[in-house]
Amino acid sequence: MQRRTFLTTLAAGTAMATIMTGGRAIAQTTPSQGGTMRLSWGTLDTPDFHRHTGSIDLTHPFVETLTSISADGQPRAMLAESWEISEDGTVYTFKIRQGVSFHDGREMTAADVLANFERIRREVQGGWLTSALANIEEMSTPDDATFILRLSTPFAPFLNVIAEAWIVSPDSPGWDGQITKAVGTGPFTFDTWTPQLELRGRRFDGYWMADKPYLDEIVFDVREVADASLALRAGDFHASSIPLTQVQEFEENPDIEVTFRGDTSWSFVSFNNRVARPPFDNVRVREAVAHALDIPTLRLILGGEHAVASNQMVVPGNFYFDQAISDADPHKQPDMERAKAILAEEGVNPGDFTLEMVSTQGNRLAGPVSQTLQQLGFGVNNRAYDDLGFQRRLSEYDWDIFPGGSGPRNDIFLRFVRFMSDGPNPGLWGGVQDPELDAMINEAAATVDPDLRRQHYLDAWKRISDRYYTVVIGHTPAAYGIRREVNDFTVAFNTSTHRVDGGLAYAWMNTGT
Amino acid sequence: MAMTPAPDMTIRRAAMPPLTAAGLAIVALLIGVALLGPLLTPYDPYQFSIRMNETPGADHWLGTDDQGHDVLSRLITGTRLSLMFGAGAALIALGIGAVVSLFALSLGRIAETSVFSVFDLIRALPNILFALAFVAAFEPGAFAVMIALGVSFSPMFAMITRATWRQQMARPYVAAAQVLGASPLRVSVVHVLPNIVGALVTQFAIILPRCIVLESVMSFLGLGVSPETPTWGRMIANATQYTEAAPHAVLAPILALSVATFGMAIAGNAMRRRFDPDRRRIAG
Repeated sequence: MQRRTFLTTLAAGTAMATIMTGGRAIAQTTPSQGGTMRLSWGTLDTPDFHRHTGSIDLTHPFVETLTSISADGQPRAMLAESWEISEDGTVYTFKIRQGVSFHDGREMTAADVLANFERIRREVQGGWLTSALANIEEMSTPDDATFILRLSTPFAPFLNVIAEAWIVSPDSPGWDGQITKAVGTGPFTFDTWTPQLELRGRRFDGYWMADKPYLDEIVFDVREVADASLALRAGDFHASSIPLTQVQEFEENPDIEVTFRGDTSWSFVSFNNRVARPPFDNVRVREAVAHALDIPTLRLILGGEHAVASNQMVVPGNFYFDQAISDADPHKQPDMERAKAILAEEGVNPGDFTLEMVSTQGNRLAGPVSQTLQQLGFGVNNRAYDDLGFQRRLSEYDWDIFPGGSGPRNDIFLRFVRFMSDGPNPGLWGGVQDPELDAMINEAAATVDPDLRRQHYLDAWKRISDRYYTVVIGHTPAAYGIRREVNDFTVAFNTSTHRVDGGLAYAWMNTGT
Repeated sequence: MAMTPAPDMTIRRAAMPPLTAAGLAIVALLIGVALLGPLLTPYDPYQFSIRMNETPGADHWLGTDDQGHDVLSRLITGTRLSLMFGAGAALIALGIGAVVSLFALSLGRIAETSVFSVFDLIRALPNILFALAFVAAFEPGAFAVMIALGVSFSPMFAMITRATWRQQMARPYVAAAQVLGASPLRVSVVHVLPNIVGALVTQFAIILPRCIVLESVMSFLGLGVSPETPTWGRMIANATQYTEAAPHAVLAPILALSVATFGMAIAGNAMRRRFDPDRRRIAG
């Protein structure tokens, strides 16, 4: 090749490469080790993860579980290599993954798994795991690699629910009381936690997934900020949740990739079903409120163009969604006249009532719902609290109505369970005193056949809808922004930042960033 | 008791500085908007709609917010509410500060020392901190915020009351009243109080905008009025989450708050000049 031809070819190639990459450096495709990734991704209220009642966002990279929820919402093997379920759905035999070490270097065995399940049953009051582990009849470990559970009755959500049953080393400090530093098996070690500030974890060199993790360190910024998106744009965070109102702007930002979580949050207007009092002890009055609510507009206020219409706990496309129930929705449009007519039929004078409404500060439904109730003629005392005040006030059950929402759950049972009379966390708003509904939900959970189970859940939902225990406003997805210097960090079904097939163990950063 | 001098409330006729005129005009405008609020709002200020985050235009002169409310209507309603809550807090401060201190001063040294120790304690805390602690200890809400702000500003009225009371107590008409057998409380209430009203009104004019601003801060922090109530602070708090989508929704209440504070500060300063005895002496 002549010198002139060579130079021309080189120049053309360079120009083409520049055009194809938009002027940016050619993307690196091979994972490289190193880097510190900073995330604003939830918060942590205790290092004793068994007692952690908040989200699972931060926990998983440090402490793992037998199962892990994949992007499709199904459980995958994590610390359990595989499992077998008896035909009657009561006996679970887990083959425990071999060659897994705790962060202190000791190898994990089936006995450690058993010790954790026993500790959860012994120590944890309330919370999602209570129902799941309550009907364990017997647990055993015939050898170091086998863990067997026998349930008193079949419990279909079991594999999904134990994706939050953390396996911590029994040698963790505080095991017999409050664990002060969780020694887990995750890709990062639980190094320093400064409450309300940050949580740091270094790479665990003995991690069981080959070559992983790639990052040297992860840092969760756990300060409570309403909007971390500015810090994300500035590069102070590599990943954070972003408000739905800013999705479009972030999608136009070449430095940030926008992604959505698999499961949605659902929003609702719920009544005090545990200590029902006038006027909402009358199902017709609850129905009147449902007619008065302008649900399409409320849904737009909640999530704009991203909001999803659904009058159920799940959205179209979910296995448990039912199109017929959706088609028959009597509240697709508001009907104030009908609402007032129902109140008149029931002899209810709204002016006689000042409703106690409880909400969180910043709740976008509170104002419009209060306005609607006032248009019906009710007086409304709308009390907005911070998170702790909200929980406290809800638990007192001296209120009438509250607009709220609920995030992703590993299994639909965890959405239904709140409606049960002795639900694991009735303080949150559930606790419908309806034994027949309890029986229907229990029957659904105990049904092994998926199609039959779906039908039981739909029957239970129909009862909830017909009795107006709650009125669904709609669903919203959760959006996350991930800076482009981070590769292979994917968001899945729930808010967890680590799972067996993705998350922080797989994430790596471009060299030099 | 004919010897009590009439309070000097005469107004000197002199050219009003333009700044003072502007301040008074702003205050007059605010009071007018507050009084006529419901007649002026083009829309129901509480009515949400699907027309969210619309920029200012012919239908909505100041645009709409993130819930489709008409910003102008909420601003007008907010003027009334913010003035009402601010004035309520300032009146509570006046009531506690002036009345309690006047009684304490009348009752003698021990009562004065005791009561003013409490006022000193309250004064030692920044207003916002005191108000936050107060509201946190009780149920959040408009009434709690008014009480909290009223208590936190009460020492400012107490101090003014004590200073002017002492000045007045040295005046001959007080000695005359005492000679005629008036009790200390009667002297304070019947004879001295009318002569310190000017100073208290001036202080009220100075404290009022501060109460409005602090009420807005409390509402911004979520501790004030209920979320749907469109005080300026609540409007700012709600709109700041959507600054990029609807900057007009946050700018409108911020400007209103700024202009109101400016106007009231100017008006307060003018009143201070008007009622300041020293300045009156110099001018006279």
